[in-house]
Amino acid sequence: MDSNKKYWKGLEELKKTKEFTEKNKGEFSEPLPIEEVLNEAGLSTIAPRRDFLKTLGFGLGAVTLAACNKSPIHKAIPYLVKPEEVVPGIPNFYSSSYNGHSILVKTREGRPIKIEGNPSCVLSKGKMSAQGQASVLDLYDVSKLKGPVYNGNSTTWPQLDQYVKGELNKIKANGKKIKIISSTINSPSTKAVIGDFIAQFPNTKHVQVDAISYTGIIKANENSFGVAVIPGYRFDRAELIVSFGADFLGTWISPIEYSRQYASNRNNAALKNKKMSRHIQLEAGMTMTGTNADTRILIKPSEQGIALMNLYAALGGANVSKPLANNPNANKAITLIAKELLAAKGRCLVVCGSNDVSTQILVNAINSLLGSYGTTIDLANASFQYLGNDAEFVSCVNEMKRGEVDAVFFMNANPGYDFINAKEFSDALAKVKLRVSFADRMDETAGLCQIVAPTHHYLESWGDANPVEGFYTILQPTINPINDTRYAEEGFLGWSENPVKDYYQYIQNNWNINVLPQANSTWKQLLQSGSIYFGEKPSGAFSFTQNLSAVFQTINNQSNALAKDGENAIELILYENVAVGDGKHANNPWLQELPDPVSKVTWDNYIAIAPKFAEKLGIGETDLAEVKTGRYSLTLPVLIQPGQAAGTVSIALGYGRTKVGKAGNEVGKNAYPFLSFENGTFQFTSAATISKVGGTYELAQTQTHHTIEGRNIIREATLKDYLKDPYSGTGKGHAKTYDLWDRYEHPGHNWVMAIDLNACTGCGACIVACSAENNIPVVGRDEVRRRREMHWIRIDRYYTYNEGAEKVTEENEIKQLENLDNVTVIHQPMLCQHCEHAPCETVCPVIATMHSSEGLNHMAYNRCIGTRYCANNCPYKVRRFNWFNYWNDSRFDNYLNNEFTQLVLNPDVTPRSRGVMEKCSMCIQRIQGGKLKAKLERRTIKDGEILTACQQTCPTNAIIFGDSNDPKSAVSKALTSERTYYVLEEINTLPGVGYQTKIRNIAEA
Amino acid sequence: MSSHHESILREPLVTGRNITYAKVTEDILVPVENKPNKAWWIGFTIAALGALLWLVSVSYTFWFGIGTWGLNKTVGWAWDITGFVWWVGIGHAGTLISAVLLLFRQNWRNSINRSAEAMTIFAVICAATYIVAHMGRPWLAYWALPLPNQFGSLWVNFNSPLVWDVFAISTYFSVSLVFWYTGLLPDIATIRDRATGLRRRIYSVLSFGWNGSVKTWQRFEIVSLVLAGISTPLVLSVHTIVSMDFATSVVPGWHTTIFPPYFVAGAIFSGFAMVQTLLLITRKVMNFENYITMFHIESMNKIIILTGSIVGVAYLTELFIAWYSGAEYEQYAFLNRVSGPYWWAYWTMMTCNVISPQLFWFKKIRTSVALSWILSIVVNIGMWFERFVIIVTSLHRDYLPSSWVMFYPSVIDVCIFIGSIGVFFTLFLLFLRVLPAIAMAEVKLLLKSSSDQAKQKLIKENAVNKEQAEFYKESLNKYDHVQENEYAKL
Repeated sequence: MDSNKKYWKGLEELKKTKEFTEKNKGEFSEPLPIEEVLNEAGLSTIAPRRDFLKTLGFGLGAVTLAACNKSPIHKAIPYLVKPEEVVPGIPNFYSSSYNGHSILVKTREGRPIKIEGNPSCVLSKGKMSAQGQASVLDLYDVSKLKGPVYNGNSTTWPQLDQYVKGELNKIKANGKKIKIISSTINSPSTKAVIGDFIAQFPNTKHVQVDAISYTGIIKANENSFGVAVIPGYRFDRAELIVSFGADFLGTWISPIEYSRQYASNRNNAALKNKKMSRHIQLEAGMTMTGTNADTRILIKPSEQGIALMNLYAALGGANVSKPLANNPNANKAITLIAKELLAAKGRCLVVCGSNDVSTQILVNAINSLLGSYGTTIDLANASFQYLGNDAEFVSCVNEMKRGEVDAVFFMNANPGYDFINAKEFSDALAKVKLRVSFADRMDETAGLCQIVAPTHHYLESWGDANPVEGFYTILQPTINPINDTRYAEEGFLGWSENPVKDYYQYIQNNWNINVLPQANSTWKQLLQSGSIYFGEKPSGAFSFTQNLSAVFQTINNQSNALAKDGENAIELILYENVAVGDGKHANNPWLQELPDPVSKVTWDNYIAIAPKFAEKLGIGETDLAEVKTGRYSLTLPVLIQPGQAAGTVSIALGYGRTKVGKAGNEVGKNAYPFLSFENGTFQFTSAATISKVGGTYELAQTQTHHTIEGRNIIREATLKDYLKDPYSGTGKGHAKTYDLWDRYEHPGHNWVMAIDLNACTGCGACIVACSAENNIPVVGRDEVRRRREMHWIRIDRYYTYNEGAEKVTEENEIKQLENLDNVTVIHQPMLCQHCEHAPCETVCPVIATMHSSEGLNHMAYNRCIGTRYCANNCPYKVRRFNWFNYWNDSRFDNYLNNEFTQLVLNPDVTPRSRGVMEKCSMCIQRIQGGKLKAKLERRTIKDGEILTACQQTCPTNAIIFGDSNDPKSAVSKALTSERTYYVLEEINTLPGVGYQTKIRNIAEA
Repeated sequence: MSSHHESILREPLVTGRNITYAKVTEDILVPVENKPNKAWWIGFTIAALGALLWLVSVSYTFWFGIGTWGLNKTVGWAWDITGFVWWVGIGHAGTLISAVLLLFRQNWRNSINRSAEAMTIFAVICAATYIVAHMGRPWLAYWALPLPNQFGSLWVNFNSPLVWDVFAISTYFSVSLVFWYTGLLPDIATIRDRATGLRRRIYSVLSFGWNGSVKTWQRFEIVSLVLAGISTPLVLSVHTIVSMDFATSVVPGWHTTIFPPYFVAGAIFSGFAMVQTLLLITRKVMNFENYITMFHIESMNKIIILTGSIVGVAYLTELFIAWYSGAEYEQYAFLNRVSGPYWWAYWTMMTCNVISPQLFWFKKIRTSVALSWILSIVVNIGMWFERFVIIVTSLHRDYLPSSWVMFYPSVIDVCIFIGSIGVFFTLFLLFLRVLPAIAMAEVKLLLKSSSDQAKQKLIKENAVNKEQAEFYKESLNKYDHVQENEYAKL
């Protein structure tokens, strides 16, 4: 509606007076005094208030506009030419293999960051060991050689080749010997390369030697059955396992495979079927396998052979029974074991950790009596994981000593470190003209060679492996070689003028001829699947018919040699531990900081000694002691080890490297020289003496209190009780179910976890997997001593002393016990319990830790101010504080303080700065990834699609993660098990992690 | 407060002859108006070195991280929070003396309240430094305050006792500061009136224009009463809330309902001990014997017996309840305190806090300056150990034995603690130099009624009962600075 009304400001406008029209010509009623202001007089006048405000306003506006300049721009340019298949933020997985185990390598933006088991792997079924998990870090090891070396100076490959070729031809001309010394090679292509090389240089011999030798078993099988192999052991088919010192869950031959088989008879599924295998371990040192045994009998190394003879006799073999003079317990046990074994004929397995041929022949005889061949031991489906021949290597050294050898090549072998007599070896090696090492670093042996031709890391390599009969795996590179390295095989191919110089081509040719056609497969399919398996061969019939009298004689002699009299006389056991193994990976800080499954010691080896025996000798914890044999002696810190046989000590091999790299050099001491070469094999036991020497040394242990003090945090039952009442031991019915607090609602998912204590063997693979996945820093020995290790998941290990039927766990009562030998052990993985009523959440002043709608306890690092109240209030003590900037502080430079090694970090997980709390997130990045994927594919998440890193790698499937809102999920089912209990449920934290009771299959007799 | 006559039976609060208002001013302002003496310089040098040590060790911590302390994955608090609670506790006596005793018309507080309040403020400063220093990321300390922010309106966690702590301590500090400063106004005006030049100007500004008029005095009295009213609940609330840091947690040995009263009693206990420690020296060095008399010392010792006994009962109650509860973890926590690896800390605490104050039942001991001083230090050692025992021995062995550890302090831990004592004494010694250590105005109020000379005058004038006069005379026996010949003539 238009209005005709006119408004006027004043009578002047209405009347339109002359002055008014004059004044309203311009925009302003009064002319702007610009001229006045800007002329000289104007400038000198004092600005009136209005002008001042005008100027001020203009000035402010102008300055504001001027200040609105663009800040400098730093452009980050993504891939200009994007490599095919690489999408930033999306990982790629490549199949490869590690030590014959088929794996999946996770790469991000072209760099491998995580190793995961390949579910199609015959050995691992998608699982991985701690060492396998840690192997990715070796790729980024700065201690490795940057290129080939000649006489200590860097050289070029053509120069190196020219020299080696020249030397080889000279050697060939004068007919001297050439040796290729390697650890076990089961790679068909490498073997073919070496074969081709030998064809060119017929004086060459390939000698395989393993630091931890299994020659005893191979030779024994050759002797007993005419097949020189390590058989396939089938722990899953054994209802009764009797192990004489074989650490088959921790280190023996193929531990991941055996762990899986072993757990399949003891896990939830087996127990649901009311079945559980029985495991009896007879040993001197407390091995990880021993900690899992239902019954553990202490026998000294000198008693082992005799005990086997007694068992053989008790089973109805030749009557060579000779009761152990000082071990009535074992005598009684052996009679009972024999009875149990006979009752389980064909469903039992006897294994022995000895590397002695005679002992293993006797074990073969026992297994033959028990009908194990064809059932629990499979000679047809043999293992090629260890092919070393001790005698061959020793004679090789002798040949070198005599000056018969003119060239020697070291492939993945380091006798300069692990040979029984380093001096003898280096003297012998000095007589060899051409010494070539293919080591990736200037290690102890490479240091003695004039040529070091570093080979690729396995993640940079093409390759293959044939770990067991009929199973072939492929290695494919996941990154271009980082340093100027070259395949050892290409060296051999080049020097022997092979028509195929490219090793990749060579492998492909080899597979195209020897494997792929038989398997009806193609190279491409192979690369996708990572392995080919021809299936199990029918196991042939083998029976033992040898005469054992010589064996008995040898065993008796050895027993007498080991059992020495004298106050300080001991029997020394040398063993490989789970973390550091034979010492090849000694420069891997993840492994050095992985607590030993039994002793929880990191970063050192030590003398493990029984508590009462140590007391008798006047040796205590943190003391230094010297162990001495005729040839060698070592001073090491003492560890009081419950369950160690009195009169014995154990020392781990694999420590005391001197030229492995910054992290691993001079960690612990080298015990290999204690080994002896007797009866054609290296022996891992020896007679020795021990004496206390002055001084103390504190071992870096992650756990220093070893019993549960009678608390019900560990709940267990015997199989007998379990069969009567599956709830037994869980304490069900005692816990009250009301509470004061509101429950959270979980409309979408509710992520929870179930951990089966009966499946967990304590191996610690989960710890390393978690460290790799979640960028957990290594803190070093001193920080572990200060009890500041950062692992988000740990494995608590508790001892229980058995006094008759009574279980003693309280400190004060243990002090009064006479006999501390009878120990049972339990492993309990402990991680953030993601409590529904989380004590940490209520006390954080800044809400840095919060509950999610999906049942997780979140940690917002950016919000944390580091009061540590949450950690104090956490009943499970799983929160970890960044006391220092571990990844960027030169005092803690174990590996991460350089940009190169930082490439191993998982970009999905923030590295935490100093002063911030951290803890298990249930791999939130994986949960988010899984949810995102499902959303993009417009579907719900499938159970088992999201795996936490610990769950994924656990060789025994002890950890199950999933959504409890889905009643069909594996975790829901697992948690409905009658055995389920929650740790500290009485304080009503409502943990999200349920544990299943430990069941012990204890003999009823 | 007013100058009414006081019963002759009451012991005098000011002794000495010829005490006039002017003499009070003269006596008390000696350290303020003169160059410091040798004793002060020695004390100040040592304290300043301590403060320097604190500065160095706190800077070292800030530079490298909390890892420089002896803490670990299980024991997340140790010397830091022990020091914090210890200092907050010490700070308690000031408010109690200035507020509660004011409301109860305990005139003897007039001589000691100034120093006690100063001590409170300095102790709370020391405590506050611990709060900031113990954080992993101290530069973000302000996140503990409920400040408006741009993190999507992210607030503090009002459920967390640490947030309550922030409120409690900051309220306590500000109220104490205001109370202290208000009380200082007439005295600052006195200094101003006697000073010249720059000092006069400074004190003039500080005196807020005090003019000594009746109205000013009246307002002063009212404000003092109001502030006393506000402060009184704080005496109870601050340490109650500090105790809730522990009491609301699930840690066995912390999760205890007895904590609030037990902590408050302990705080007053340690606060009075610290007042005793400081004033006995001040009294000696500054010749304040006429103003801080044996009556004051004895009164404070009586409070120490009382609060010490409350604390002792609390210790025993804790033990009884731990046993009576039947709660496994609780029982172990206390068994571990008594007989675990830190048994020596527990028994040090028991000896210092429960047994030693009981010695004050002996009049000889509680009226001995030397013994009072020694025992006051013993009590503060005991109270430090009490906090150490509560914090460390509860944490180091809690629920899962796998995580049980020992705590060993690092050099930095020790340096920061010693340094914080240095900071405290530096501030206190500076305070003695610039402000009167005794509230002059309030002491002057007592001169006509409660001083020895006023009472003696009454006796001389035969204005009091003979028997009562005799009683009064006897009560002077314990006064170490009243010569016998001064009343022999009576």
